[in-house]
Amino acid sequence: MNKIERLINLTAYLLDSDKPITLDELKDTVYKGQSGGGALRRMFERDKEELREMGIDVKAVKRGDGDEVGYTIERNEYYLPHLDLSPEQRVALTMVSRLFLGSGTPFSGPAHSALLKLAFDADAGAGLPAEEKVPHVHWIGVPREREALSDILEGLVRRKLLTFSYRSLDAKEPAEREVEPYGLFNRDGHWYLAGKCHLRGEIRCFRLDRIASEVRVNPASPRTPDFAVPSNFDIEKEANWDWPLPCEEEDVEARVRFSSRLAFAHTSARAPVVAVKRQRDGSLEVTYEVADPEQFVDWVLEFGIDARIVAPPELVNMARERLQAVLSVVRGRKR
Amino acid sequence: MSSRAAKRLNRILLMLPYVVSEDGASIAGLCKKFGITKEELTNDLTLLWMCGLPDYTPADLIDFHIEGDRVYIGMADYFKRPLNLTREEALALFIAGRALIEAGVFEVGSPLGAALDKIEALLAEGEAGEVEEIAGRIHVEMDSYAGRWKRIIEEGLKQGRNLVVDYYSFSTGNFSTREVEPLSLLWSRGYWYLQAWCHEAEDLRLFRLDRIRDVTLTDTRVTRELTDEMHVPELVGEYRPGKKAHNVKLRFSGKEGRRLVEEWPTARISEREDGSQELELRTRNLSWLASYLLRYGDRFTIVAPRELRQLVEDKASKMLEMYSED
Repeated sequence: MNKIERLINLTAYLLDSDKPITLDELKDTVYKGQSGGGALRRMFERDKEELREMGIDVKAVKRGDGDEVGYTIERNEYYLPHLDLSPEQRVALTMVSRLFLGSGTPFSGPAHSALLKLAFDADAGAGLPAEEKVPHVHWIGVPREREALSDILEGLVRRKLLTFSYRSLDAKEPAEREVEPYGLFNRDGHWYLAGKCHLRGEIRCFRLDRIASEVRVNPASPRTPDFAVPSNFDIEKEANWDWPLPCEEEDVEARVRFSSRLAFAHTSARAPVVAVKRQRDGSLEVTYEVADPEQFVDWVLEFGIDARIVAPPELVNMARERLQAVLSVVRGRKR
Repeated sequence: MSSRAAKRLNRILLMLPYVVSEDGASIAGLCKKFGITKEELTNDLTLLWMCGLPDYTPADLIDFHIEGDRVYIGMADYFKRPLNLTREEALALFIAGRALIEAGVFEVGSPLGAALDKIEALLAEGEAGEVEEIAGRIHVEMDSYAGRWKRIIEEGLKQGRNLVVDYYSFSTGNFSTREVEPLSLLWSRGYWYLQAWCHEAEDLRLFRLDRIRDVTLTDTRVTRELTDEMHVPELVGEYRPGKKAHNVKLRFSGKEGRRLVEEWPTARISEREDGSQELELRTRNLSWLASYLLRYGDRFTIVAPRELRQLVEDKASKMLEMYSED
């Protein structure tokens, strides 16, 4: 009998029986044909652990009034309880799982299997799962980030050290890193790990597609966390590292004029809109609160002649200098 | 989940409630639902052949047979109801859901919030607090420009009605108005896209939400459904530039090249002796690329094609002219 069959039989037996089952009884049934004694006990312990990992708790209880110990799986713990989700709630959860399905995000697999179970909630007892008409929503992941994510999430949840080789943008060669994973964030469609880097001795952010090796989760004593997350750790602060939150003193108010044809796109800036003024010719003058002038100028330049920075002079100059630099290079090469 | 055996067992226990009934279940349907091949499915199910309760006589074993495209399992009522959510599953739904509410994809006070409360209640005492703490350390930003049109598009998707989209194409610089059949909403690399069947092009098209000038819901019913052949992941961005694409060769000083290559999945980068980076990529959108490159100032040069150099020069000089007016 192979291991999976054995685990299925063990689960079926303990779940179906109304009374706890002793190890002796298991020896004659589920473990029939296995060598007995210590080896059998060790095998049973491993099987119990395996089931526990899957969320199936095999409990040891006293049987009758004697000292005899029996094992059981409590039905009310094993089966999914009736959650009484409304159709709207089920649609919402399905959208969440659809969004991540196949995306390679850490939620993709487990969220999907959770929904496969929750499908029975609608009609608990009757058996047939409910199918809903749910809008398709998908998250398209970055292929290179996929493998790393589940290991990182594991380390994050269990607070275990991660080791991997990482190539930062300005490094020629990747370097070995040991990181205490504090948090995980997604910015502009990319995943980043935030954590204490032992090499640098401080909190650093690692973009997942720059990880150049497998991510290894410290295998030693899996149930004991390797570190504590500092109480002042703030994931949003890490996620906004070079993109400071708007703050009165440093912010620049910038005005941009959009041609009437592309005026609709003025809301796609990363900077908040302060004021919008429609001109007589249909063009739009929009005032933004800009925290990151470089990035803002990049964004405006993409509009070509359909957007022009009007104020302040520093930003106008920045745009102008950028364009002059481009011209000097393309013209220089031509001659 | 550590071992492969555990993964497989998990899948079998997940599948059983779908099969343990008098009507059985369709094999093709199960394969689709669980994302496995027919062979894997039969391998999983034939394992049950020798499973059951003591004393493992034919009367105790799980009754299992396949008829045509259907599989029937009986004598296994103890596996009829699904297993409770594992900690990992509850955690994934909870964290993902919370992140989406925080990112503004779902509203606070939406049905999702109430559903998440119920999921959270499944977790053992003490675990719920831990899950909250972990959820607080994961942050997803997804609000980017979805606000204006997302609701109408979602309505179209939900009701299965066509949309009329007024769209600006950055590559051609033109607007077009077309009637499309909405198929799905995609989130990729920081942007939302509508994936739709375009009647004008008679093909699948992607529309980036922040480039939609206007969208209206029609009364016409959609005729197409999202099929596996339309499977999306590789459609977004220039993963498959096609035969008509131009070969582009650029040179960057410093780390700019490496940064660009991360945004351009099909680009190839090679380090040159002088420390500069040479980037090779293929694109159909030379015009868009020209606008995009302006941000790099004098930190890049164009090796090829000549057409791109001309486009960049035209664009930059026209824009400079604009900046020297008044």
